[in-house]
This record gives sequence, structure tokens and C-alpha cells, in this order.
Amino acid sequence: MSNREHLRLIGVPVGSKIRLAEFDPALDPLQREQLLAYGLSVGHPLEVLQQSPLTVVLCDHVEIALEHAVASDLWVEKLPRHAP
Amino acid sequence: MDLTLPRTSPESPLDHTAMLLVGHPNVGKSVLFHRLTGTYVNVSNYPGTTVEVSRATARFDRALSLLDTPGVLSLPGRSDDERATMRALLHEELRLAVQVGDAKNLRRTLTLTALLAELGVPMVLALNMSDEASARGVAVDHKALSEVLRIPVVPTIATGGSGMQPLIDALDVAKAPAPLLHYDTDTEAVVQEATALVEELAPHPRLASRGLAILFLGGDSEVEQWLQEKSGDDYARLVALRCAADAASSEALAARLAAERGRAADALTKTVMDQSAHLRRPMAQRVGQLAVHRLWGWPILLAVLYVVYELVGVFGAETLVGLFEEQLFGEVLNPAVTDFFNRIFGAGWFTDLFVGQYGLWTMGMTYALALILPIVTTFFLAFGVLEDSGYFSRLSVIANRMFAMLGLNGRAVLPMVLGLGCVTMATLTTRILHTRRERLITTFLMALAIPCSAQLGVVLGLLGGMTFAGTVIWAVTILFVLLFTGWLAGKLVKGRRIPLVTELPPMRLPVLGNVLKKTGGRLKWYLIEVIPLFLLGTFIMYMLDRLGILPWIIRAGEPLVTGWLGLPPEASAAFVMGFLRRDFGATGLFALSSQLSAEQAVVGMVTLTLFIPCIASMMMIIKEQGARTAALMVGMIVPTAFLVGGILHQLLRIFW
Repeated sequence: MSNREHLRLIGVPVGSKIRLAEFDPALDPLQREQLLAYGLSVGHPLEVLQQSPLTVVLCDHVEIALEHAVASDLWVEKLPRHAP
Repeated sequence: MDLTLPRTSPESPLDHTAMLLVGHPNVGKSVLFHRLTGTYVNVSNYPGTTVEVSRATARFDRALSLLDTPGVLSLPGRSDDERATMRALLHEELRLAVQVGDAKNLRRTLTLTALLAELGVPMVLALNMSDEASARGVAVDHKALSEVLRIPVVPTIATGGSGMQPLIDALDVAKAPAPLLHYDTDTEAVVQEATALVEELAPHPRLASRGLAILFLGGDSEVEQWLQEKSGDDYARLVALRCAADAASSEALAARLAAERGRAADALTKTVMDQSAHLRRPMAQRVGQLAVHRLWGWPILLAVLYVVYELVGVFGAETLVGLFEEQLFGEVLNPAVTDFFNRIFGAGWFTDLFVGQYGLWTMGMTYALALILPIVTTFFLAFGVLEDSGYFSRLSVIANRMFAMLGLNGRAVLPMVLGLGCVTMATLTTRILHTRRERLITTFLMALAIPCSAQLGVVLGLLGGMTFAGTVIWAVTILFVLLFTGWLAGKLVKGRRIPLVTELPPMRLPVLGNVLKKTGGRLKWYLIEVIPLFLLGTFIMYMLDRLGILPWIIRAGEPLVTGWLGLPPEASAAFVMGFLRRDFGATGLFALSSQLSAEQAVVGMVTLTLFIPCIASMMMIIKEQGARTAALMVGMIVPTAFLVGGILHQLLRIFW
């Protein structure tokens, strides 16, 4: 993992390309398992599509909607704008 | 070792008779099932359409039984529908499995493959929706993937029928996949120890012990139950091993196993998949985003509701019902049938049984065919279009905040919206919810305050034709009851609320053929279920009337129906009918419409909407929640209906 600053997913602007850096320990283990099943694994690139009313991210061409309580437990790092 | 299915060996897997379709939710398993068997099962564009295993004979091999399983988000299974798939894997005489995957989401597909590979079942991987993948610039090297997995990999487009023959051909060379990974040293040691124990205590006749061990370590309840049954007291050894492994790390073992499978799938995906850069975002994605936009989402929702109202409430409940009830039945069929009975049998009890006030034809069949059928037909059409468009999943995002007040999350909107079609089927769909608490609250709210399409149509037909304000008061009252009782239930039912995490399937233009097929299937089901019940209900009414019991019931119900609700005494009959089906009762009230004021119509419809769930729904609630819970629900629902109806009557007397 790079040494870029880690931000909570809930605080990242719409349109940002990001990479999932880590799951917060406060995240429920079952919910974490569910996120992994949706493909949200550490190091994987995502794009933030929406932050309201829920956080919506694009993960491998699939849109995943996350309630803010979950999005705030995901730490991410921003990728350069030109990242694929 | 070559694990290709030998066609002739007497002890080959050919002795087994089942082929399982398995995969993530909403990847097209049911469409593929239809293609391979000719049997239509309900297909929609949202996760969770299939909640039970469907079975049919394969078109290409009459000795082979195909099983369409509910989508699994992950294995080990956590929800009821995932457990149903695991049960099929454990208990069916499996010859092979076809994993159906989403070609544009290969990484997720391979995460499940990594687990299935450990079970050692001969497999074929069908990479479905390869057209959508191409549209998004995704290219998969199927040959390379097949070489790594050592199983056939076939690109398919099930909706268009593409890739079906290559898939059928590939079934002959299905193989157990090569394992995708070895876990890290510590985890692998635990897996191997658990595998040895499973092998010693409870070897499965078809599934590999290593796969069962991994599922057990991940906490799969179906595998736990199976191992417990087979290994008896020795099961404690497995539990002790898992506890020790869990305690040895700060991270839960299930999460560690899942994360490693994810990493292996990620690595393989990068090897065999190519993603074109700088593709324009598909139009469907932009439309989908607008549908859940914090501002645009609401006008879109209102527009959708308006179109549905115009189709069902105006075209179905007014235009078509007018044509059927007044013209076809009122002017042609009913006079002809009445005349026929009078001429052949003369006046008397037998003629009355068919064409009297509570006649099987003049009441039972007329209600079912002239009043309800046009309404449910238009409703099912609108419903089918919305289902296939992918809009329903987006409703869960819009409605999440409201459902949070009820202690639920937006996922519960799906069963509730389906409940507007039929509460009975929707009760079954509560299986997509993750906790028993969510299922209990949602089932209760549907039984109380979600009118089915037939009832909704009658309500719109009666109130819409009488008073727009009355329709609004009815809707606001029902919504208020739904929210208030939901809020109360959320406080009273133990357990915590699970925040929403959900996939939003792509918006798609509905395929007319699929919408018509679904509408046809639902209408068939409706006619099979409703007509006998309507005829039975009519017969009961006839007998009650004939034996002088109905007038007694009307007199006995007078304090409640006339005194408390302010309805005419004859409305008691509608409540008696409502015990059989709420829409039957509502239709009884509809038939009294000339005797009702607008206020009485609103109070009557509110009370009947909240009244007892229909018999079929009750049976389903008993099946899903148990008889005690169902009885408790009825014990709360009936008094609530009359309480709300009475309070509304008092309020409307003052303010309207």
C-alpha cells in the first residue's frame, strides 16, 4: 500500500477515483464479509459516484450503495485523476 | 488427474441426476434455466428474485434434473436464500454444477469459483452478460481462464440465447476446478487439520472434505448442521479447532478466508481480463444515477407513481372495469346466465345459488373476472416493466432513510413493493433480508398495511371514482399506520438494525416478451388461487344468508360497524367476506358504493385494507414464521384495523 493519506470514504468528493486502504476495526465482521463478497477488497480501485442520500461507488462496473454508517468505516486513499 | 466426466462408467457421477445452476444474485441463472429446460421461472432485474430452488428436466438430457438456486452473495451462507443453495449442494445427487457469472464482474465471479473449486464438484463456468461486458470495454481471455481453472469456460448471453449450444456441449467435459489458492501458512494449517477431521468424522459422498472444512471454518450454518448430524459427539472437536483458530488471530477466521479468496480472484482477473480505457459511461448508468439522486430521485419516483396510477387506477379500474362489469357482465353475460337458470330450473334456492344476490356466477365470478381481473392485469404489466428496468433496487436507496425509522434498512422495500403485487409471494421474498428481526418486522407490516394489487385496484376504483381527497386520506392513513406500527415494532423487537449495503443492477430496457410472460404467469396463478376462494366465499355468504345467520351477523356487528365505524349495517357482510380475502371484502364494499358517502367509503376501505391478511398469506406467514407468530400477528392486526377505522371516522366527522 502507498503512503498517501487515508480518508474516510464518506468524506471523499463525488467523481474521485480511490483505492480501498483498510476496513476500520469498528466495522461489523459480517458487514465486512458482505463488502468483500461485493468485491470491495483492500487495494481495489473504486470510483465515487454519489454521496447523498447514500454513498454509491463503482466497483468493477457494478454500482454498490453503502449507508453512511458503513462508508465512514472504510478508509480510502485518493488516486490521481488520470488513473484508469 | 483427469476429472472429465466419463460417460460410461457404472460408478461415474452420471449415476447422479442433478445439475445445479449456482452464482451471484442477478447474473441470469433463471434465464439460463429457462433456456436449458423450457420451464419459465420468474426473472427480474433485481437481486433476490429466486428465493427457492426450482427444478425441471433438461431439454438436452431427459435423465438430468436442473436446479435453479437462489443467488449467493457469498459462501459461507448468511441469508435464508444462501442457505437454500448450500442445502442443495449438500443434499442433491449432484452430477455437476454450472457456475453462472457476470462477465463484467469477473473478480467477484472468481471469488465464488475459488470456494466452489474446494468442493470438488465437476463444473462449467458460464460467463453470462458478455454483451454488457463488451459494451463496457471488458475483454476476457476465456481460453486462458479455462486453462488456469481447468474447467470449460463459456461466454453466454442468456437473454438472447447466445452461447447455449457451446454450454450444453461443455457439460460433457465438466471437471472439478483446480484450486485457486493455498491459504497463508497459519490458515492453511488450520484448514488441513479441519479437512482431516471432516474426512475422519463425516466424509461427504460427493463434496470434498476440504471444501466442507473451509465452509465450516467460515461459519456456514448448513454445513455445521450437516457435520453435527454426521459426527455426533465428535463434532465438539471441530468446534474446538475453530475456536482455537479464531482466538489465535485478531481478525475473524471467516473474514481471513474470504479476504484470501478475494485476493486470489483479483490476481487471476488481472491475468485474464483486459479493460479498455477512456470508455464513455453507458447511458443506463447515468439514468440509474438520476433515479437515486438526492433531488432528482423524488420527481422521478412521483412520475413513476403517476404513470402506474394512470395505468392501474384510471385505465384498469375505471375504463376496463367499466367495459367488463357494466357492459360485458352487466348487459350481456349476467342477464343471459340469469335467464338460462330461470328458464331451466325456475325460481328457487338452486337458481339463487348461481344467479341470486350471493350467486356463484353473479357474485363470485363477476367479482373475480369483471372487477378484479382487469385491475390486476394492468398492475402486473406495470409491475413487470418496473421490475425488469432495475428501478426497484434503486427504491431501496431512496427509501432507506424512511425504513431506518422502522429499524429496518432500504432492502425491506423490495418485499413491500412486491407485496403490492401479492402479499403471499412477497412474504416468501422476505428471505432476502439478513436477520430474523428484519424478516419478522417486514412480514408484520406487510400483513397489516400493504394492500395487494387486487385490493389496491378496488380501493382506487371506489375512492378514485368518488373523491380524490378521499384517496389521499386513505393513502396518508395507511402510510401513517405503516410508519407508526413499524416504528413501534422497531423499538419492541429485539436485535440491532443492519445498515444498508446493496448492489444496484444496471438499468435496462424491459424486454416485452419477458414482461408479458411474467404477467401471464402471474395472472394464471391469480386465477387458480382467487377464483376457487371467491367461489368458496360466495358459497359461504349464500349459506349464511340462507340459514339466517348473515342477518344475525349484521345485527351483531352493528355496534362495531355502524356505531364505531359509521358504516351502513350491510357493510358487516363485507367484513365477513374479508376474512377470506381482503380484496373480496373490499369488492363487497365496492358493490355497496351507491349506499356509501365519501367519508364512509374512506373509513370502510381503510379498515378493510388493514384487516386480516388473506388465507393464502396466513398460510405463508405460518410457513415462514410459525403458527404462534402468525396467531400473534392476527391478534394485533384485527383490533388495530377497527381502532384506526373508528378513530378516522371520528376525525372525519369533525373535519370533513
